[in-house]
Order: sequence, then C-alpha cells, then structure tokens
Amino acid sequence: MTIVDNIRTYLVKNPIVGVCLLYYLLMALMVPGFFSANNSWNLVYNFIPLLILAVGQTFVILTAGIDLSITSIIAVSSVVGGYLMSSDVGLVDGSKWSMLLGIGGMLSVGVIIGLINGISVAKLKMPAFMVTLTSLMFFSGFAIWITQSQNIYNLPALLVDAPYHSFLGLPLPVYLAVLVFTSCYLLLNKTLLGEWVYAVGTNIKTSWISGINIPLTLVSVYVISGVCASLASLIYTARLETGSPVMGQNVLLDVIGAVIIGGTSLFGGRGKLQWTAAGALLMTMLDNSLNLVGMSFFLIMMVKGAIILLTALYNQLGSKSLTHA
Amino acid sequence: MLKLHHIGKSFGPVEVLKDITLEVKTGETLGLVGENGAGKSTMMNILGGIFAPTTGKIEFNGQAFEPVEVSESQQSGIAFIHQELNLFPNLSIKENLFISAFPKKQGFFNTIIDQKSLSSQASALLAEVGLSVSPSTLIGKLTNGQQQLVEIAKALNGRPKLIIFDEPTTALSQQETDRLLQLINSLKEKHISMIFISHNLDEVKSIADHIAVIRDGALIRMQEAEIYSKKEIIRDMVGRDLDQFFPIRSTHPTESVSLEIQDLNADGKNDLSFSIREKEVLGLYGLVGAGRSEMARGLYGMEKLYGGQVRWKGAQMHKLTPQNWIRHGVVYLTEDRREEGILAFKSIRKNVQLAALPRFIQRFGGWLDYRSIKREVSSKVKATRVKYQDLEIQPVSELSGGNQQKVLLSRWLMTNPSLLILDEPTKGIDIGAREEIYQLINQLVEQGSCVLLISSEIEELLGMCDRIMVMNQGALTAEFNRSEFDQSAILKHALKAAHD
Amino acid sequence: MIKRLSPYSTVILLVLVMLLFSSLSDGFLNGRNFMNILIQVSGLAIVAAGMTLVLITAGIDLSVGSIMFLAGVVSGKIVVGGAPLWLALPIALLVGVAVGWVNGIAVVRFKIVPFIVTLATLYMGRGFGLYISETRAVNLPESFLAIGTFKLLGIPLPIVIMVLVLVVLHLVLTKTTFGRQLYAIGNDKRKSVKAGIPVNKLLIKVYLISGLCAAIGGFVAIAQLGAISPSFGNQSEFMAIAAAVLGGTSLFGGKGGIFPGTFIGALLIQTIQNGLVIINADPYLYPLITASLIFVIVLIDSREKFGSHV
Repeated sequence: MTIVDNIRTYLVKNPIVGVCLLYYLLMALMVPGFFSANNSWNLVYNFIPLLILAVGQTFVILTAGIDLSITSIIAVSSVVGGYLMSSDVGLVDGSKWSMLLGIGGMLSVGVIIGLINGISVAKLKMPAFMVTLTSLMFFSGFAIWITQSQNIYNLPALLVDAPYHSFLGLPLPVYLAVLVFTSCYLLLNKTLLGEWVYAVGTNIKTSWISGINIPLTLVSVYVISGVCASLASLIYTARLETGSPVMGQNVLLDVIGAVIIGGTSLFGGRGKLQWTAAGALLMTMLDNSLNLVGMSFFLIMMVKGAIILLTALYNQLGSKSLTHA
Repeated sequence: MLKLHHIGKSFGPVEVLKDITLEVKTGETLGLVGENGAGKSTMMNILGGIFAPTTGKIEFNGQAFEPVEVSESQQSGIAFIHQELNLFPNLSIKENLFISAFPKKQGFFNTIIDQKSLSSQASALLAEVGLSVSPSTLIGKLTNGQQQLVEIAKALNGRPKLIIFDEPTTALSQQETDRLLQLINSLKEKHISMIFISHNLDEVKSIADHIAVIRDGALIRMQEAEIYSKKEIIRDMVGRDLDQFFPIRSTHPTESVSLEIQDLNADGKNDLSFSIREKEVLGLYGLVGAGRSEMARGLYGMEKLYGGQVRWKGAQMHKLTPQNWIRHGVVYLTEDRREEGILAFKSIRKNVQLAALPRFIQRFGGWLDYRSIKREVSSKVKATRVKYQDLEIQPVSELSGGNQQKVLLSRWLMTNPSLLILDEPTKGIDIGAREEIYQLINQLVEQGSCVLLISSEIEELLGMCDRIMVMNQGALTAEFNRSEFDQSAILKHALKAAHD
Repeated sequence: MIKRLSPYSTVILLVLVMLLFSSLSDGFLNGRNFMNILIQVSGLAIVAAGMTLVLITAGIDLSVGSIMFLAGVVSGKIVVGGAPLWLALPIALLVGVAVGWVNGIAVVRFKIVPFIVTLATLYMGRGFGLYISETRAVNLPESFLAIGTFKLLGIPLPIVIMVLVLVVLHLVLTKTTFGRQLYAIGNDKRKSVKAGIPVNKLLIKVYLISGLCAAIGGFVAIAQLGAISPSFGNQSEFMAIAAAVLGGTSLFGGKGGIFPGTFIGALLIQTIQNGLVIINADPYLYPLITASLIFVIVLIDSREKFGSHV
C-alpha cells in the first residue's frame, strides 16, 4: 500500500478529519486574514478549552450517557478559584500558594460534581440526562447565589499572564491541551478502563455478566468530564481575568455539537477522541471564519445548527453504505 | 393452497435457495426443518413479501402470488407467528390485538376508539384461542405462553388461510407447549393450512402431516410425517449420520467438592442446597419457569438473593457478583445471547477478550498487553472452532447463532474457568455446532473443570451429565446419578406438582 | 416489571409543598393566589404537554425553547410593524408548525437521532430569532397584553387555553388510535412497523404537535410578560422535560400521560416558584430548590423502577 492509499483509507474511516482539512484550506484561500499568524493564535486559544471539554464529554457519551452539567462546573470552578485567589476576597493573599490552592480548589469542584453525577447514575440508577440536568440547574444557581451574581476581580498576575506565557515557543495552554488529550487518549485506548468504557456503552448487561465493574466505569467517566470542565474553567478564568458565576453559559451546545459532528454515537460504544478533536476544531473554525467575514453571532448560531444537522445526516448515510457494503 | 414452483433466491453471487418445489394443501400442516442458515428464513421472508424470489413462481389460493410488501402478504391471507413476539408489553391485550385498526365510534370525525366493541371483539378472539384472562390485562403481566396465544389470536383476527409458525415453542414451558400444539390441532379442523418450523423434531413429528427437510438452500426430502423417522430426518438435515451424538468423557468426577451451596434462596420461598464436584457435569432439569435460571442468576449476582451460604473450594464466598465469581474461576453462559451475551457491533476479538482483560494489565504502567491478548484470543477461537473471516474487523453480529455461542464460550475460556454454569447452551443452535459444543464441554471437564448444565432438553442432560437434579416450582425435587438415569422418572418429578 | 410509573409521588410532594408554604405565609393558600399559579403555569404546561407526546414515542424535542422565542419574535415584530393583532396568533402557530415539520422530516426521512435534530433546530431557531429581533427586547403593544388579562366567563384566557390544549391532548392520548399507537412506537419502533402502524406519519405529527404547543405556550407566556427578551425561552426545553418526567413520563418512551402526569409536574414546578416569591426567599435560591426537588422525584422514581442490579 502506498502512502496515498493509507491516507485515503484513513479519511474514509475518519471522514470528519477530511472535512476539517478541507474547511481549513478553503477558509485559508477564501477568507482574508484567516491564515494570518494573529488569527491562527486566536483559533488555537479558542480551540483549546472546547477541545478539553469535548474530550471529557466523549467519555460520558461513549457510555451512552450525557453530561449537561459541564457549564455549571465551569461556573462553580471559576467562582471557587476566584474566591481562593483574588486579593479582593483575601482568603489567601495573592502569593504563589494561593495559586496552587486555587487550582486545586477548582479541580476539586470538577471531581466533586463529577462524583455526584457519577454516583447518581451508577449507584442510584438515575437517568444521566435528568441527573446532569438537575446538576446543571442546581450548580449554576449555586454559583450565582453564592456570589449574588457578582464577578470576582483582581486575580493574581501569575494566573492572568499564564495563558500568554511561552515555553519553548508555545504558550502554556497548548501544553495543557496536549497533556489532557494524550492522557485521555492513552486512557481510552490502552487501558482496562478504556475497554470498559466502550463495553459498558455497547451493552451494559453483557458488561455486568462479564465481570466489568460498571459503577467504577460510570463514576470515572463523569469525574473525567468534571475535571476537564474544571481545566477549561481554569483557562477561561485566566483569560477573562475574572471569577464569573455565569462563565461558560453558552458553551454546552458547542461541546455536544463537537462530539456529535465528530461522529461519536449518542447510543454509546462508538466513537473516537480523534473525531472529537476534529469536531471541536471544526466548531472553532466555523466561529472564527464566519466572524471574520462579518457574520453576526446569531447567524453563526444558525450555521452551526445547520452543520450539526448536515454532519449527522452524512454520518447516517455513511453508516448505511457501510452496512450495505 | 400454497404451491412453490422452482423457487430460487440469490444475494449477489450467493445462492441461498435452490430450485425449491413444494406444496401445502388446505387444512394441512407442513413441518419445515433444517439447520440454521439452511434457507428456512429466506423462504419465509419470500412468502412474507420481504424479498422477491430470483427464479420460480408461487401460487397461493389458486392465484399467482407475488407480494412486494408485508401488508400485501397479510391481506392475501398469510399470517406469521414468530419466535420473537410482536407485542407491546406497555399496552393491554385488546389494544395489542387491534393496534393497527381499532374499531371507531361514530362522530368526532370517527377518531374515538369504541371501547365496548373493542372489548367484545377481543374477548371473542381470546375465547377462540382458549385464553381466559381479561382483555384489559397488560401484555407485560402475561406469561410467555399466554403472550404466544395473544399473538395467535391477533393472527386469527385477519381470518388467515395459512399460518406460518417460526420456532413458536422456544420460550414456552412444557405445559404451554402442549396447549399450543392442541390449539394448532383445533385450527386444522377449521381448514387452516400451517407451516411449522422448529428445531424440536418431536414437536414437528407430533403435529405435522408432512415434513420437509432443507439443507444448504435445497429441499432434500419431503415425506409424510408418520413414515419419516427422527433418525432419517437428522441425517437429511446434517448430511451424515450422527451416531455418537453425545461424545463420551474419559474422566469421572473426583471426590473433592468444588462448589457447595446451602439454603440458597432465589425466589423468597425455597431454600436450595446442593454441591458440584471436580470434573463433574451436573444437570439441572425443569420446565421453563421452574426457577432454574433464577437460581443460577441469583447465585451469580444478576438477580436478587434472599439468603444462603456459598462455599467455593472450601472457602466462604461473600460478595456474589460476576466480577468476584470470575476472579475465582466461575463463569455463567447466559441463555439470552443477544440481550446480555454479545457486544453486537464490536469485533470478535473485542467480544472474546472482554472478561479476561484484568489478567492482561502490565505490571509496569498499567497498560493492557494487546499483543498477548490478540494471541490468546486467536488460539481460543481456534479451540472452539468459530467460523469467522476477520477477528479484528468482522462484527460478532454477522456470525450465525452457533458461532456467536462459540465466541461467548471462547470469552469464558480466556478466564480459565474451573466451573462453568451453562444456561441452555444449545438453544436455537443447529446440530453440527451443538456437537462441537458438547465436545468442548467434555474437553474442559477432562482438564479438571466442572459444569452446571441447565437445560430443557432431557436428552441433552441424559447424554452429557454425571448427575441430574430436577427443579419444580422453585424447589429441588429429585436427584439422579448416572446409573439411575430414567427419562420418565425425571419427567414425572419435573411435572408432578404442576398438575396438583 | 412493566409498571406504569405513577405520578403519585409527585402529587404527594405537591401537597407537602403546598402545606409547607401555607404554614410559612398567609398569602399562599387562597383562591386568588391559586388562580395566579394556574395563570403562571399555563405556558409551561402547554409546552410540556406537547413534549409529553414526543417523550412517549421515545423521542425528545430540545427545540421548544427556541420555538417559543422565534414564534414570539416573529409575531411580535409583525404586530409592532403595524399588522392587525389577530394575525399574531396564526403567524406564531405557523412558525411552530414549520420548525416542528423540519424536526419531524429530519427524524423520519433522514433518520437522524431526535436529540441531534432538535439540538440543531434549537441553534437555528434561536439564531434566526435573534437575527430578526437584532438581539434587542421586542416590546409589545398594550393590546397584546390585553390577551393575557382577558377573561372568558370569568376565567382568565391563559387558563382557558391551557385547559383546552391539555384536555384535547389527553383525549388524543387515551381515546384515539393515534394516541394508543404512540405508546406502541415508544415501546418498540421496529415492532410497530411490523404491526402495520404508520410510524413515520405519526412521528411527523408528533413533532408538529410539539412545535405547535411550543408556539401556543410561548404566545400565552408572552401575553403575560408584555415584552420578549433575547433570553426568552432559554432552557424552557429543560423545564418542559422536567415537568413531564416529574409527572411520570419516561425518557425511554412508552410510558406517561398528561392528566394527572405532566400537568401535576408543571404545577409542582410553578407552585414552588410562586411560594418562594410569596415567602420572600432570595430569588437566587429558586433554581437550587427546584433542582433539588426534581432530583428527589427522579431518585424516587428510579428506586421504584429498579429492583435488581442490571
């Protein structure tokens, strides 16, 4: 097999990657300013938190669940981080230690809400949709209530500068994204937990009979999704330089959209992190390029909706032709 | 009534039916037998209007018959009773009977259902099949046998001329089966023709006027049921004699007890006690609904247990979950392959590796050792003689039932089990694959494992077991050692209390 | 095992909530406040009733919040632009039917999962609505508000519309072929096709009805508000689903109903909101309390449903 053949089979198996490449090329040629260094960094900065969120969501969707609570995790993490780090609140003064404490606190939020979701689904056997929906309502409300809808300012300079701080020529968030994606990829594709995630999503009864620890698997995916949401919150909080109780409110649909566009099945058991990454990239490029051509955000919303529908249609037709082949 | 003239059907280059010519006369019952994949279902799908034949002609009721849709076949008077019932458990009997065409009240644009007429029509149909329950009962509350009768009542509503039964008794208890066969006999008197497809040759012989055997898409023989012996039928189905159907084991059970169960309570009423020895095949016989599966599933941690003590190789077992049992070398092969056995759209390799994965965690880093996994999977599917094309790509759902069962057996072999609980391991599996499964069981036992074999087929138990226990209405009622095996005594114990 | 989930745990909870609020405030338990609750709940109850039909078929309609918004904006803009008031309602309904039709076609013809379809139309509907309203609040003329306060035989119009919609849909679900066949579809789509039920036709109708109900519900809510903010209808889909699920409708299809079911579910949500206002609770606490209660109900239901492990 030649390299061309290899690439062709790869693109047939992973159509979203081809769509992504094609879109990038088209935009680079057609939209002035898209290919510029400035805009490329813009793309990267917007892509990273969405990627992290969508990767976490993919784990949950692979088990045939869904995590609607991520936006509330972003908000609560941001608020908790703000309280712990801001010199206004002064729980801890703006020293290095307050940063560590703040990041630790933010991640704990993801772990705790993830645990609540996971235990409700796995042990109390509640439907994931309703569990994470009530989590969403509760914790969004909680973030607003505890701050009385006020933003928290004056975060430590170290945190606020971090996104723009470079190491070996690349800004820190890039390292965070690479770290999250690689470790999640390895976890899903090279470990027992990964095999269990796919098996539970494919058939939960078979999995139980075959000795899979279902509660552990389910709790793990919700905690992973929670931690990913906290990490995304860390980036948003640093970039916006505020702890905000309404942070991330509009990101949920982009996240689920990215996973779906990637081709991961909502029924569980089918999907790949690479697809999700490509889906998240496509979502980011859509936002960015349509913005560049001067489209208003509500028109962009419509286009995104149409794209979700079209890729779902494409995946549907694709799966049909595969089964008939 | 129904005539097939030189019917052939090909899917691309694959010829699945070859030049089939047969006839069913008015009021006559044709028994149709053949191994899985022989072409029975293709033939039925042609009659049902799902596929068109590639060659040949069908004549039904004196007219050329070329249905292109399911409804067309129904309207011309052919009804299907499948093994898988087409009923909705969340709706009542009467709603199920008339789901596609409710009787309506006058007025309101004729949209309102006429409950009175619905109930009376439903009652009349239920009387016809001899089912005496209220037509308002939810389907979900009925037994399998009662549901089967509702399905037949539904078919009778269309006043069919030909009814095709496809494995109708698989999910029924002995009593329910008897009742169904009686009902079929009464339908004969109403001059309804029938085609009866079943793996159970005794049933087919008892009910059919003629028996047709299909093998590899061709009609091998069609003969009057009375003069067509079971042995001949089997030979025609398989294409060879099956003398040593149940292979003989070279070993005998030892004295050391592997599993010891005391006062196991799976139904809230009965306490069960028994034990299994090393290298023993213990059979568990009982009618469907006698509580065999419930006991096994309770023991294995899939259903609620009310109490009991379990000792495995001398040590008390505390946590009865599949995970813990597998760790101790005890595995359960489910009766419900599709719902809780296979991972349908996953590859054969993913299906086989599933239960043994923890064994392949590498000490350094916690990664799975995929090279060893693949090596062991391919050796196991060879041992169980799975017929496949590609371990990595082919989804397990593409395999035949028998091969899927072998895949599941391979899954359990990967865990090196010392006790296999096999729940109806040969249900719906053709004779060739069956024999291979028996041989595999013997191999395992010879190597030192033991087996709890749950089955509704008494011959299978007589052929395979060292000891047979009989279960009746949740209780263990009798036990026979190999030297005392007696088919009629076993049957008597299984049926006894049920008639009281 | 096949047990129709009873909405009784919700009824008990509703009574408890009412007792609690009446012990905390004198202003809660009286006819006028009860009438208020009914007026306030009318929009949600209508949307949730349409949602109930979709859920019974094992589908989901996430686009209802956007339909409420879009239908309101379109008809509001037309009236503000000088069209006669009577034209507002048919236009709103037309918008609801149109989006519902898109949902239905995509689900039925293109066989795309309802969750994805309606997620996409959620985006598109909201985007289109924001485009028309230029992301500003649409202030409605006084005459529009009159609809919300108009009384028919002494009963406020929103309540009349709600009762009408709910009763009709309840009868459709319990008394007609269409309704009964929806339960069959929700139980098993493949079997339904085999049984000769026109599954595709029915599903399109269900999404049409849901779109229509969303438009009516949105219209009723707007007539009480007097203005359509850019966030109107945001997360209404979740409230509608919550109301239906609280009333015993299963997210997995085949089970549920409008009376008492969804109506009680919606009433519970609205009663809590109303009670919290009356006892002067911190408004920021509302979502926390509502969410906790929904969680408890869903928990109780799952306890009833699952006895064994799998």
